[in-house]
Amino acid sequence: MGSEVRIRLDGVGRRYGLRGRWVLRGVDLEVAPGALIRIEGANGTGKSTLLRLLAGLDAPTEGRVAGRPRTAFVPERFPAALPFTAAGYLTHLGAVHGLTRKAAARAADEWLERFGASGHARTPMAELSKGGSQKVAVAQALLAAPELLVLDEAWTGLDAAAREELERAVAERTADGTAAVFVDHDPRRLAEVTDTTYTVVDGALALRAAAEEAACPGRPRVVVEARGPAGAEPPGEVVRLAVSVAEAEGGAYRFGVTEPRSDAILRALLGARPPWHVVSVNLYEAGSL
Amino acid sequence: MTALLRYQAALLLRSQRWLPPVVLYAAALGIGVRSGQPVLDSLGWAAAVLLPVAAWLVRVCTTDEPPAARACAGAATGPGRAHLASLLVALCAAVLLGVLAVGVVTVISDPTSTNRRTPVPLGAASGAGLLAVLACALLGAAVGALTTRPVLRSPGRAVPALLLGALLALVVTGSPARAAVGALVDGSQEGSVPVPVVPVIVAALLAAAATAVACALTTRRSP
Repeated sequence: MGSEVRIRLDGVGRRYGLRGRWVLRGVDLEVAPGALIRIEGANGTGKSTLLRLLAGLDAPTEGRVAGRPRTAFVPERFPAALPFTAAGYLTHLGAVHGLTRKAAARAADEWLERFGASGHARTPMAELSKGGSQKVAVAQALLAAPELLVLDEAWTGLDAAAREELERAVAERTADGTAAVFVDHDPRRLAEVTDTTYTVVDGALALRAAAEEAACPGRPRVVVEARGPAGAEPPGEVVRLAVSVAEAEGGAYRFGVTEPRSDAILRALLGARPPWHVVSVNLYEAGSL
Repeated sequence: MTALLRYQAALLLRSQRWLPPVVLYAAALGIGVRSGQPVLDSLGWAAAVLLPVAAWLVRVCTTDEPPAARACAGAATGPGRAHLASLLVALCAAVLLGVLAVGVVTVISDPTSTNRRTPVPLGAASGAGLLAVLACALLGAAVGALTTRPVLRSPGRAVPALLLGALLALVVTGSPARAAVGALVDGSQEGSVPVPVVPVIVAALLAAAATAVACALTTRRSP
């Protein structure tokens, strides 16, 4: 489904000005399609610079960046000072992302509705609240199904429902093969579906220790029971999305999946050729699996 | 690229920041152009004052997007392409203004030389005027591109540099704008219509070089 264009940073360093201090140095990072990567680090350590390099907004001072997937970027704070309505801006950006104007206008309405902002579609951007304009920034990045999604504290300023919706949307996109790299101050953000967490320390990138990883508090999981054609193995896509796979009686399988990916796994089951029959979907609290 | 150009053009039109440079141009034409004056003289004036206006339009187009919005469009297409689109929209706006001015000037001016003895064919004169306007718009865009972000970011330096650059581009020997305007003025005195093609080519090369420098710098300067 997704593309095979992957972005790779080789020994990348960045400093501003000819004799400025190195903000980042010696960074090697490969982002595969479908990967969900979290970047951590104290303030001013170069997280945002790393994201700008990944988004192609900055060129490295040394080293190189190979591969340029179709990229979308969500800034931390999105200004309302644009002379468009929310839908008008999104239609323009959808077209810039490569959609036809018709498809862009349709996607704009869809995404505004998903984030509970369809009532603001015809509102001038200048009249939107901070949360409202952040919804527009997020919709802008999602509406053309990019190959690489770069989110710089994209959740800041969103209301609780929109924050959850954005988590779901990111999980959905990564299940579809979009690579996503994000920075966020909330350690639980997408914790169950994050593939790798890196920490920026003194301008270098370090993999976060596995012990810390395990300490992440869990959240509700969904158990999907489904039955395939006689003797069929579960589709690879479904296995990849699932946290656990267990055989049940009568040729059925039980798939444990994190809540943000539940829709994606159902879609994968129903979309398999031949399709699987979903017997039941249940919510389990963390730890009960 | 079409989508980017459309987005940038919409930004320019809806922001209404195009208004001051357009008013300036109209005022300059109102001062320097009277009906019944020799056509080539008036066309020379219309071309010359377009240069600072083009530079100003470039400044408007490259600064009318908030940085965060610029990052969104830049990530989608590459910041260099996004910047190129804003420069092209500014250039198109300047050329459009110049073409309108040439039309008006040709209609209201007298088809004679400066001493009113030699007739000057209006068709050929407006052709020469269009070339001169194009040369000045291109050179003005080059000045604008080199005196706005990402080349010069603080307005305290960028605006004086723009004014100085525009002035120098009009008076320095060897400037294609000066050559094109000078050709019209000389032609008016001699009663012959020049064809300032070389200044247009030189101005286009300078504008392309300035654009390349500006676009290449978009990812190399701090945000």
